[in-house]
Amino acid sequence: MSTATSVRPEAPLPAADRPLLEVKDLVVRYGRGRTAAAAPAAVDGVSFSIAPGETVGLVGESGSGKSTIGKAILGLQKVSGGSITYQGRDITSAGASQRRALGGDLRAVFQDPNSSLNPRNTVGSSLAEPLRLRGVNAAEAWQRAGDMLERVGLPREAVDRYPSQFSGGQRQRISVARALICDPSLVVCDEAVSALDLSTQAQVLNLLADLRDERGLGYLFIAHDIAVVQFLAQRVVVLYRGQVMESGPASAVTENPKHPFTQALVAASPVPRPAEQAARRQARESLGVRTGAAATPGPGGCPFRLRCPLATDLCRDERPALRTAGGSDVACHYA
Amino acid sequence: MIPNTAPAPADETTTAAAVLPQTPGQSAAKKFAGSKLFGSPASIAGVIWLAALVAASLTAPLWLPFKTEDQDFTAVLSGPTAAHWLGTDELGRDLLSRIFASAAGTLGTSMITVIVAVGLGTLLAMLAAAAGDRAENVISRVTEIMMSLPGTVIILAVIGAVGTNIPLIMGILGVLISAGIYRVMLGQAKSLQSQLYVDAAKVDGMGMAGISLRHVLPGLTNTIVVQAALIFAVGMLIQAGLAFIGFGPPIPEPSWGGMIQGASQHVYDAPWLMVPTGAVLALTVLAANAIGNALGKAPNATASHLPSAAARRQRAKSVAAIAAAAPAPKDSAKDTLSVRNLSVGVDNGVRLVTDVSFDVEPGTVLGLVGESGCGKTMTALSLLGLLPSGVSVAEGQILWNGTNLAAATEKAMEGIRGREVALISQEPMRALDPMFTVGYQLTAAIRRLRGTGRADAKAEALGLLEKVGIVDAARILKTYPHQISGGMAQRVAIALALSGRPRLLVADEPTTALDVTVQAEILSLLRSLVKDTGMSVVMVTHDLGVVADLCDQVAVMYAGQVVENGRTDSILDNPRHPYTLALLAADPHANHAADMPERLATITGQVPQPKDWPSTCRFASRCQFAGSACTVPVPLLPSGAGDGVVRCVKADELAVVGLDWVATDIPARHVLSLSETRTVEKDHA
Amino acid sequence: MALFITKRLLMALATVLVVAVLAFLLVHAMPGSPGAVSLGAGASQEAIDEVNRRLGWSDPLLVQFFSWLGAAVQGDLGISLIDGRSVSADLASRLPVTASLAAGATLLSGILGIALGVTAAVRGGMVDRVIGGVAGMAVALPAFWIGIIFVYLLAVQSSVFPATGYVPFEDSPQDWALSLALPVITLAVGGGAFIARQTRASMLEALQQEHIRTLRATATPTWKILYVHALRYASLPIVAAIALQFIQLFGGSVIAEQLFAMPGLGQAVQNSVSTHDAPSVQGVVVIATVVVVAVNLVLELATKFLDPKLRAS
Repeated sequence: MSTATSVRPEAPLPAADRPLLEVKDLVVRYGRGRTAAAAPAAVDGVSFSIAPGETVGLVGESGSGKSTIGKAILGLQKVSGGSITYQGRDITSAGASQRRALGGDLRAVFQDPNSSLNPRNTVGSSLAEPLRLRGVNAAEAWQRAGDMLERVGLPREAVDRYPSQFSGGQRQRISVARALICDPSLVVCDEAVSALDLSTQAQVLNLLADLRDERGLGYLFIAHDIAVVQFLAQRVVVLYRGQVMESGPASAVTENPKHPFTQALVAASPVPRPAEQAARRQARESLGVRTGAAATPGPGGCPFRLRCPLATDLCRDERPALRTAGGSDVACHYA
Repeated sequence: MIPNTAPAPADETTTAAAVLPQTPGQSAAKKFAGSKLFGSPASIAGVIWLAALVAASLTAPLWLPFKTEDQDFTAVLSGPTAAHWLGTDELGRDLLSRIFASAAGTLGTSMITVIVAVGLGTLLAMLAAAAGDRAENVISRVTEIMMSLPGTVIILAVIGAVGTNIPLIMGILGVLISAGIYRVMLGQAKSLQSQLYVDAAKVDGMGMAGISLRHVLPGLTNTIVVQAALIFAVGMLIQAGLAFIGFGPPIPEPSWGGMIQGASQHVYDAPWLMVPTGAVLALTVLAANAIGNALGKAPNATASHLPSAAARRQRAKSVAAIAAAAPAPKDSAKDTLSVRNLSVGVDNGVRLVTDVSFDVEPGTVLGLVGESGCGKTMTALSLLGLLPSGVSVAEGQILWNGTNLAAATEKAMEGIRGREVALISQEPMRALDPMFTVGYQLTAAIRRLRGTGRADAKAEALGLLEKVGIVDAARILKTYPHQISGGMAQRVAIALALSGRPRLLVADEPTTALDVTVQAEILSLLRSLVKDTGMSVVMVTHDLGVVADLCDQVAVMYAGQVVENGRTDSILDNPRHPYTLALLAADPHANHAADMPERLATITGQVPQPKDWPSTCRFASRCQFAGSACTVPVPLLPSGAGDGVVRCVKADELAVVGLDWVATDIPARHVLSLSETRTVEKDHA
Repeated sequence: MALFITKRLLMALATVLVVAVLAFLLVHAMPGSPGAVSLGAGASQEAIDEVNRRLGWSDPLLVQFFSWLGAAVQGDLGISLIDGRSVSADLASRLPVTASLAAGATLLSGILGIALGVTAAVRGGMVDRVIGGVAGMAVALPAFWIGIIFVYLLAVQSSVFPATGYVPFEDSPQDWALSLALPVITLAVGGGAFIARQTRASMLEALQQEHIRTLRATATPTWKILYVHALRYASLPIVAAIALQFIQLFGGSVIAEQLFAMPGLGQAVQNSVSTHDAPSVQGVVVIATVVVVAVNLVLELATKFLDPKLRAS
């Protein structure tokens, strides 16, 4: 995670020690001008980093700001504060030309396989697009598109077909192929498997794992499903209302959660074993976490306090800082 | 006089759905447009008419019987005669010759309006969509002003200033109309800009212009062509209208406008004069409209949730046929649902659900589980007689308290829906009417289903909301659906379903759209409702964890069939069908973090399309254990655990060997099975 | 809400101003100076110059514009170059004619359009196809053509209605209604077809909404689903279509007024354009714009009232 010593941009650390991606105190507010200043932050002071070849999972419920963070890293969302550093370069507000230089190395796989490929372009044309933008000639780009399709388990001939001729799972493989065709170091996967059925989801998760092992990729794996994250990620960051609640090694966060929210999140994820699920349900109900339906906390303090069984006046007055507890960092006064 | 430049709404949808390809296999925009253009007799006729008109006009000097300026003073203002088929004008000039000779010119000047209006409107829309909120605001304000100009008056004022310079006037008309085109295009351009492939292009570093040209403009082509056809018609009508009131093109050149202007002076003494030109004009406008409507027709419009009267009559017939096929036995147990050999099919004959049977005892929960396209939602909706239009029960019985619901009339079903069988669906927000308050919707249902008065209904509504765990019920009653969260909306939807005190609740993926902590709360609520009211539940889900949490019985569905049915604990802990086994192995939730496998088990390929379902074991092509015994139709066989059944000939063999479904590599050559049509059924997306 | 209305009022004011400037410039581009126009052919150059000077024709454009604007704000739109009458008075006498015509035609098209559109959507099948076909024909036929046919059938052949002319309401309400009948029906054919198509499309879209299924699942009677819930959901675009219809009829009644010899605004603009009567043209443009902008404002308020999402924000 982010350490106290900041990385000086003018003197980059040796590549091996330097994090691939570093997000520091990221703040995102929606809207512009006065609206934005008054709006509650969608992302509120989030920091984390990803080492080369590492997979970090970003977990949270709807409205937790996880997708917004992904968009900010990819330059699709304006940042209101904090910094995003990629391989020692500040990319917080990189323009289109900087993105073009970066775009081959930092790539994305999005959620909806129906909309992540242009239905009017052939698969080959979609795959070749990022290469062509980088000046690769048409013949070579086409060649590499075919190679990449084979790598993700589709025949070369698929280059001439249109996305609508493929199933959701196949389209998501094509999206993965498009992300990897430039040989990137980091791929942001925003809910990349959540629109897929179980069996196809497993296929795509395995493919992502294979490619990571093969090419030493780093992933920022954004998902609402902690079990899916747990399969792929070495470290997990748990978000609630735009703030980091807990972060640490995947096994520690998912098996032995320290923050009351993480505990609730883990306990709420049902397992397909009836006896065990009955026990988990009991455990969840005994946690005493209140429903989030009507609870919108005011600014300041812990964002989870209105639902939290441990909450006191301290939680209302003071925002808990991340501190190490067990194997993880936890933002709770009482964890 | 300026006709409605807002696009013809008739068959058009400019929603995001229209942006996506609808008929796979024809994604190439041209092929798509072509097939639609020649898809209806009206548009074929339209194309032929326009083409013939232009051809006739351009070749006019070669074949016309008279020169356009030939005057025949022996036949002034005559009706149709052998010499003058369409009659003559006040100078005895032949109308037929003049109409055809001048067609190209009239069509050409109308094209000026089209090019200016559609070109400018599209350009502005693409700019506004690409350049962000501020630019969009400015452009939208300007076009708003343009749209609130009295168009005809302005055009007339322009005529006052520049005279009847038709090309210039048609150009200015185009500018005025472009504001309307912008309005139409903007929504679509923005929807295209928000597509994920545009985000992907931005991540690549593609600039604004590149994105607009490569990803936005091609997506607009269909709308552009549609609008062009409609504006073309508008342009011709306006030209004719201007001519009628005396602002036609300068006299000597023959033109439709000029001829109408001439005819308008003889409305009372020679009404025939108006007929030929007017008819040709009307035909041409009709042709352009027909082409526009054909191109703009949304391909697979979403099915209506309330079929039209014609469709309802159709359905009543098929229901009567089912009722005649097998009378319902009268001796069924109270509040027990028995589905017997149910088949659901599209009206063209393709079956989406085949031979499904299950029972639900009072006070128990049955899970219908499977992947998308397995027919579970269709099975569930058939229990309420709420299958989407175009889909109906083809065979079988749904027995409920002595009635066969599959053969019940719409009237009979109205007595059962809500009162005996109720529904909650996947998207709570969309399940509630956005135009009415929660309180109105809830009290209306209570008054209808419980027969209570207005005042009592309100008290009962409050009670119901509290029963489903809403603390500030009084406030929620006054809210509109968009003002509450998804979890809250699902509680309201459950309260609505409970308003008729049903004995059976059909829940179609009720927690899929919710956060996992909210899902847990809703599942707890459902469990306590079952316990308190003794109602039974049919729960459609794709999540085996939800099944483990809530269901007593589970029916696993694959490709329209039940492949395994029995007690939840015996099936999930000891699955007998390879598909169930595979689903469990592919589910990351089935594994603890400590022993999370390096790779998950997968099932190769995908669920086949309903029209491709084989007569053999439908899972055989994807099954690791398939052998020669699997090439015959497989019946449901007793599984050996209680009264459980399983549709696998090798189930016993597999149970003895105790095989696991293993993680497989993806064989590169075998996964691609190009589908020509996508699944008709819409299970959870 | 107050802020919203203020913003919209300012916007409306801006629109009228823009149009005023535009009209002013257009009128100045008309051939012939006011003197030449008003004195007609054969007048001496001195006489023409004298009139032009009196009307301030040679002043800088800005001065002319603001003096016109200053007078216009007080209700004085100048004097017609042709007959020397006050433009304001002339237009004031013409406004009721066009207003009755546009309002009548809008009302009739609204009733016809909604009835036919709902019927087409609800009945489906053959009924839908017939209504669709008729509506398709109706929008394609030029209004003057329809008008002529009506005149021929109902006035000339059977003299049910007067063919031409307008009787003010004050003179005889019954004759007023009769004199309006043919022009209103003529205009309502195309308008009704347009609204019918919009209504059908909106109703079908409403019936595709998932909440319709919820209503059926709670045993809501079909008539209530159709005429309370679906029609309510479909009401926004239908209201917009009706307002658009009024706006277009208001600015576009020229043809009907010509055909039926009605002394309305359309006739005024047609005459003044033909005779290059600058102040009249300018006056009509501004009056028409004010009406159109006002209707738009009402439409926006109605939309805001009809849509709970907008009302809440």
